Amino acid sequence: MSLADRLSAYLSDLQQEVVAVEQLSRIPGGASRETYKFDAVTRAGRRGMILRRDPPDSLIDTDRRLEYLAYQSFHPLGIPTPEPIALEEGTEALDRPFFLMSRVDGGAAASPFAPDPYGPHAPAIGEQFFTILGRIAAADPSTLPLGQTAERPAPNECWRRELGHWERELDKDELFPQPIARAAARWLRLHQPPPAQKISVVHGDYRSGNFMHDGEGRILAILDWEMCHLGDPLEDLAWAIDPLWCHFETDRVSGMLPRDEAVGLWERASGLTVDPNALDWWQMFNSFKGLVIWISAAKAYRDGGGRDPVLGFSGWYTARRHDVIIAERLLAMLDRAA
Amino acid sequence: MNPTVPELLIGSLVAMSEPPEAEATGDFAAGRMGVLGLISFLCAQEAETGAAVRHAENDAIRALFAVAAREEWARELAGELRPLAEGQDRDFTLTGLDAANADLRRVLIRLQTVVEQSGHPDRERRILALLLEHARARSLKLPGQL
Repeated sequence: MSLADRLSAYLSDLQQEVVAVEQLSRIPGGASRETYKFDAVTRAGRRGMILRRDPPDSLIDTDRRLEYLAYQSFHPLGIPTPEPIALEEGTEALDRPFFLMSRVDGGAAASPFAPDPYGPHAPAIGEQFFTILGRIAAADPSTLPLGQTAERPAPNECWRRELGHWERELDKDELFPQPIARAAARWLRLHQPPPAQKISVVHGDYRSGNFMHDGEGRILAILDWEMCHLGDPLEDLAWAIDPLWCHFETDRVSGMLPRDEAVGLWERASGLTVDPNALDWWQMFNSFKGLVIWISAAKAYRDGGGRDPVLGFSGWYTARRHDVIIAERLLAMLDRAA
Repeated sequence: MNPTVPELLIGSLVAMSEPPEAEATGDFAAGRMGVLGLISFLCAQEAETGAAVRHAENDAIRALFAVAAREEWARELAGELRPLAEGQDRDFTLTGLDAANADLRRVLIRLQTVVEQSGHPDRERRILALLLEHARARSLKLPGQL
């Protein structure tokens, strides 16, 4: 049976009616899951859906349940996200676990390495982008489906847990000696940040390129929650403004807004205040985390016999970008300390 | 460094040789071809400059090791720094230069760790500046940036 036939059988069983699957096609991106778009057709009509299926190999090992619960948590709150439809953790239906969600049509996601992807709409997109992130930070995890399942760290343990995780990934996947990544890890251990002001949902990959916009200044959907967890909300803010996602610009973060303006929007929406030293730490951390992801991508590329060019590109070009970003930051921090 | 140019080019051939699944044509196939094209574009840069960049990096690390050994930055590494400082590249393939680079980097990481703990920010800065210079030299340009 084809994938479309199997999906049709699954949906028909789920909805207790005949559901035809039409125009099933895989879409690019989503390095941690296979992503397909399709139409689910019933007697009542046609509905656009997205299938996110675990891959045989992945850039990062993530918890599909948490990703699904993130959509369940934020879609009802009015955060622009696809509506979750079904989570299937067994392997009988489609060989691997997967989940389904509504398809958001009429928009596109920017390439993270395209220059000036938002054009004249950059300020409007930026205002929404950082306000939405502030609203995610403001949400009380204990009231959300995600908060019932995700591990809740103590405020003073957020940084340690995240740093420990990515250090272990580096130890596991480092095929070639990485002096810049190692220097960053030592810096992060030496300069511990203050405890988190609050425990929030952390999207984990909130950045330019991971949302859809309509091309006219409106954000349609925040996507790619596969690394979501509970932790320090500054983690997301720092990732969003990492130079890698700034579209080669130095005067606007995320290719959208001046840094101070972005931070101000986030503060107003979250009700939190940014401690500059804490944000410095989380910025260094996120660049380190990014570099480790790319180092892991290089290993996955080699392990997979070079079949996935996205892994090859990430483990090579993108890793080198983060090497420069981290080395510049380490030098700046040393000069500041002096 | 990983992945290497041979791995990337052979990987691209493998990726192009395998027939796509029925559902993975259209946008997905187009996106995949775009990334494969990008990899070829970047491989051209690496083929042109990669050996010179690596050779210069290896020599710069050796020069640093010579200074560190002479000025006793890390006595516990003296036995390793001196012979490495006196070495030279003999295999000028990318693979050969990478192998020498890996040996140098492993000791550089240990030297940097010792220096950070020794309270000599000038030495620390010198190592970081070298790492930044090398990272910039290895940077690759996307289409439109050359």
